[in-house]
Amino acid sequence: MSRIFWVVFGKETLSFLRSIGLVAAVLYSFTADIYIAGKGIQITPRNVKIGYVDDTGGGISQKILSRLHKPEFLPPRRFKSQEALSRAIFDKEILVGILFDQDFEKDFRQGKKAQLNLLLDATAASQSFTTLGYLQNIVMDFSRPNFPVVIKSHKLFNQNADNHSFMALTEMLSVITLLIVILTAVVFVREKEEGTWDIMLLMPVNPKLIILAKSLSQVMIVMAGVLLALGFVIFGAFDTPMNGSFWAFMLLTFFYSFSSAGIGLFVAAVSKSTMQVAQLSIVIMMPLIFLSGAWTPIYAMHPVLQFLSLFSPLRYYIEGSESIFFRGTDLIDLWPYFGGVLLLGVLLYWYGFRKIGKLF
Amino acid sequence: MSDLKVNKVTVSYKKQTGIKEASLQAQSGEIIGFIGADGAGKSSLMHAIAGVIRFEGEISYFGHNYHSPREAEKIKPHTGLMPQGIGLVLYETLTVAEHLSFFANIRGLRQDAAFRAYQEKLLHMAGLSDFTDRQAGKLSGGMMQKLSLICTLLHRPKLLILDEPTTGVDPLSRLELWEILDTIRKEEGTIIVVSTAYMQEAAKMDRVLLFDGGEIIARGTVPELTESVRAYTFEAGACPEKEDVESDCFTFDRRSYSLDPLSVPRAEPTLEALFFVNALRTKRAIPKIEIDARESKMEIPESVMEARGLTKRFGNFTANDHIDMRLRGGDIVGLLGANGTGKTTFMKMLLGLYPIDEGELTLLGKSIRSSADRQELKAKIGYVSQHFALYKDMTVRENLIYFANMHHIPVATAIKRINRYAHELGFDAYMDHSPNELPLGINQRFSVAASLLHEPVILFLDEPTSGVDTIARAQFWEMLHRLKASWGISILITTHYMSEAEYCNRVVLMRQGRKIADDTVEKLYAEHPDAENFEEIFLSYYRDEI
Amino acid sequence: MKRSVVKAYILKEFTELFRSKLIIMVYLMPSMIMLLFGYGIHMEVTHARTLIIDNDQSHFSRMLTAKFEHSTYFNAEVTLMSETEALHRIKQAKADIIVIIPSSFEKRLLHGQKSEIGVFVDGAFPNRGMTMESYVQGVILDTAQQIGGTLGKRGGMITVNSRNLFNQAMRDEDAIVPGLIGLVLLVAPAILSALMIVKEKERGTIFNFYASPLGRGEFLAAKLIPGFLLHSLNIFILFLWATELFGVPFRGSFWLYWLAAEIYILISLSIGMLISVITKQQIVAVVLTIIITIIPGFLYSGILMPISSMAGESYIEAHLFPVMYFNHIVYDSFLAGTGLASAKTVEYLGILILYAVIFLTLGTFLLKKELK
Repeated sequence: MSRIFWVVFGKETLSFLRSIGLVAAVLYSFTADIYIAGKGIQITPRNVKIGYVDDTGGGISQKILSRLHKPEFLPPRRFKSQEALSRAIFDKEILVGILFDQDFEKDFRQGKKAQLNLLLDATAASQSFTTLGYLQNIVMDFSRPNFPVVIKSHKLFNQNADNHSFMALTEMLSVITLLIVILTAVVFVREKEEGTWDIMLLMPVNPKLIILAKSLSQVMIVMAGVLLALGFVIFGAFDTPMNGSFWAFMLLTFFYSFSSAGIGLFVAAVSKSTMQVAQLSIVIMMPLIFLSGAWTPIYAMHPVLQFLSLFSPLRYYIEGSESIFFRGTDLIDLWPYFGGVLLLGVLLYWYGFRKIGKLF
Repeated sequence: MSDLKVNKVTVSYKKQTGIKEASLQAQSGEIIGFIGADGAGKSSLMHAIAGVIRFEGEISYFGHNYHSPREAEKIKPHTGLMPQGIGLVLYETLTVAEHLSFFANIRGLRQDAAFRAYQEKLLHMAGLSDFTDRQAGKLSGGMMQKLSLICTLLHRPKLLILDEPTTGVDPLSRLELWEILDTIRKEEGTIIVVSTAYMQEAAKMDRVLLFDGGEIIARGTVPELTESVRAYTFEAGACPEKEDVESDCFTFDRRSYSLDPLSVPRAEPTLEALFFVNALRTKRAIPKIEIDARESKMEIPESVMEARGLTKRFGNFTANDHIDMRLRGGDIVGLLGANGTGKTTFMKMLLGLYPIDEGELTLLGKSIRSSADRQELKAKIGYVSQHFALYKDMTVRENLIYFANMHHIPVATAIKRINRYAHELGFDAYMDHSPNELPLGINQRFSVAASLLHEPVILFLDEPTSGVDTIARAQFWEMLHRLKASWGISILITTHYMSEAEYCNRVVLMRQGRKIADDTVEKLYAEHPDAENFEEIFLSYYRDEI
Repeated sequence: MKRSVVKAYILKEFTELFRSKLIIMVYLMPSMIMLLFGYGIHMEVTHARTLIIDNDQSHFSRMLTAKFEHSTYFNAEVTLMSETEALHRIKQAKADIIVIIPSSFEKRLLHGQKSEIGVFVDGAFPNRGMTMESYVQGVILDTAQQIGGTLGKRGGMITVNSRNLFNQAMRDEDAIVPGLIGLVLLVAPAILSALMIVKEKERGTIFNFYASPLGRGEFLAAKLIPGFLLHSLNIFILFLWATELFGVPFRGSFWLYWLAAEIYILISLSIGMLISVITKQQIVAVVLTIIITIIPGFLYSGILMPISSMAGESYIEAHLFPVMYFNHIVYDSFLAGTGLASAKTVEYLGILILYAVIFLTLGTFLLKKELK
């Protein structure tokens, strides 16, 4: 029994290794692609280009401007008029323009409400948001009366808001999902296309065993990729902290890959050709990734979507992985994630077995 | 001056040479036949002539010389190529009519009245007039081949290159295909270069080239070639029994071949003789088939398979209409019929690959009602599907070891058996190649070997000999008979070689999903006293009722 | 170039696309991505689950908790649980923010002593963490000023009045949806064209091309034009989703948007074609196309981060991928409307054309008309 299992497993691994194109694609996905994703984005304001127009004498305005320094902001550039400032924003030369009008300093000194006008390029909303918040806090902090409230703020798990590791991790989770679904689906659909699946069904072996062995081979390919990605990119290039247990993460990844291989099995069971697999995988995976909470937290979704997200194994996986990596959650508190992933996996395999795993 | 001149053409692949320094000449209106063992270099030379592969040497066509695919561009308006493989150039989702207009358009043909008349004529000749709205993916193999051929003919090529156009095509369609070719070359003066595995077809060719090991080793008209082997062809059954030497005499199809004179009278040679004599001459071992006794003794029930009223429907279409069939222990039953009559469907139903819509099935004394009933029978059944069903990313050896493992055969035994089959079926030279580098025939041979590894009780063979060369087929049938004799194996086999029907104990003929005859070969001959061979009997069933 | 030949091929491609139901994909995928991501991505944080541990229970502390409770940004819950317990809630991802008000908060303030408010924010999601942190600080500072007012300690006060150019309301939709057009029109056409050539290689029908007098340019034209025409419709569909469903304003020239989008589709199709020229299996082609297009399409679209703030290699990469140039034009057309009056738009349009020309030439050059 177990001999057959390992024979099938070995054969699939060998087939994969022989397809140079596929190996290259998988290697690229687990290294360069994750690196690019992690490197590309920095959410905290960085190198923000600021321009200003100063119609005051320049006492307070300069004090405020002096608080805008590297690495968040580049040294502010002075413009002659509001028109010049606006044009610079239109041409994307600067992101934020500050207008100190004539009354500004006078009002402030007299203890009146002094108004500071900001012009913001809001097309890159995410960074505009954070930049605005940043500026507001700087200004508020500056104008704060001599009043002794101190805010002691901690960003838990990721004090520096290091977005590189976060993006790289999210990308790795997406790559795992994409590859395990497509690779598994193709393994089965190729057998259907070539007619070898018929032969397998006629072998004196329980087809369920073959299905499991084939799935496992793809899971292990992905697991190897995960190790590569962790070693070279996540821990290597981005130095991501690991607050929880490494083995808990690998275990969760293993279970997750296995149930997602079930999605691949499902896709293969209902498609006739590689072409259909490609289409179906994309159509199934897009909502899957979306419903996982990777982009927007689940509790902020529409109730219908919240309900649907219960069926996305990626949801449990992402929450679980983030908890392990950043929150350092204990294994015992991770049971909902393991449970969700396992339950969905069992359902998917049950369907796959029924649909292509037996003779008539 | 010849119209087509091939001068010392060599095609090399990464691992081996396809064809070495081949030369040939042809005149307009000639049909040049390529015959030879699988992998002898026929396809390579065809690809070179069609200008779709790099080659060394020179090809000249009506004074246009070309040495590379790029230079061949200028002759492509005048050539037509039909590559090997059923329906390879067809688009599954396009209908017959759409194919015709597509091929006409990419050839830039003006679709005037004359063209339409020509197209109608081709459709009629191919018997596809009634199927113009059917999608290619839903045509039978024979129809696909005929459609591919007329698509290749649409632009009236002056040089037609056909790589095994009749492989997997039933006798009726094959006749029609050749009628089309013959008409075309007479009317258009086309040079036709064609390869085939059916030696009867070679008789229709003006000149035949015999390929072996990447070289052309003999050429001439059919009478010339057969004459050349007359001295070595004898009546059957006179091969001296020698223990040490495997092969200086060989018997197949009621004839014996030997380089040394035999004590029996000479027989009338056929083209097949060419293959055997060549094999003998080149001292290529034609291995003697020996089947060891089954390692496990087993009781073989009197009736191994019994089907009653088996019916299969796909939507409105009834693929198998209440078919009864019985397979006794040690029977070899040939299932014959035109392409698309439901032979494969029937076999798949027996195997459980399709659900049975109606009827009863008993296998090895066990009534089959659900998949659970089949589980323990699996070890006793062998199956070779029409499409080889091999893993293309593993070598032949790896494929076979894999299948052996799936059958729980101990590794040492498995390797021994694999080597034996490789030798007997003549594919030992290809053990470390991947199946997609190999010709159809070789792939068929080793899928047969794969189905025998676990020494089954019943063997289902779906066109195991299509496109397989003469010697290999001879070997194959020899092996089946030995299997029957020493294992008591029962075989259900479909084939398009009508001469093979004669090796069967019983023949079942199907037409349009129904069984129309089920009898022994002798009785069928008795019913058709005029028939010279089985092909005529077969055709009579089809002609009678159309 | 024989027009009738190309026409025949195109007709065949269309028939196959329809019959193989790939056509559903051509129109389903772009709109699906647009709708999912358009509705899905929220930069703004609302209803952050906030635990306020009020150890003071005084007038001032209630002023602060009330501010949290009345804000839509927070779902505040005032509790008396221990700090450890609250932190555990964050670890289990059941809370996002903890605000701890010390027990002598009011007393210390009245005596002019320093008082420290502890804030813990879940930073696992850095973007959200940052935003939540600044919201919390804003609320606390705002309350502090108010308390200062009641204590009569008036100083100068600065209010920030921000005018958000191009996107006054700071709507997520306005910021994201135009960028999605750039993403979708990169991914979908690339996958389609990658499949169309590799499919023929895998099936064997590529022989029809090898053996016919059809030129390489003609073959590529025949393969690209159907995708081009089909996806041209998507330019309009996506435009309608953006303006009608998501209510994104359109201030620029529709002609410019259209023209740029058509050129951009041509680039995407050529990327798919280049992939299909070098791959042999459909599946490798699909995986490669997805991986190569989606990530840069998303990262360098400018949705998440303005290119100007990128540094080093990501700055260079952003300039290597065509998506940045196209998105500049799209954002301009939707939100700013400067159009060709801006030299940058003209320059970027030129770069897009250059990309199209280079990719197409490269494809023709790399495609071989012979067996390997």
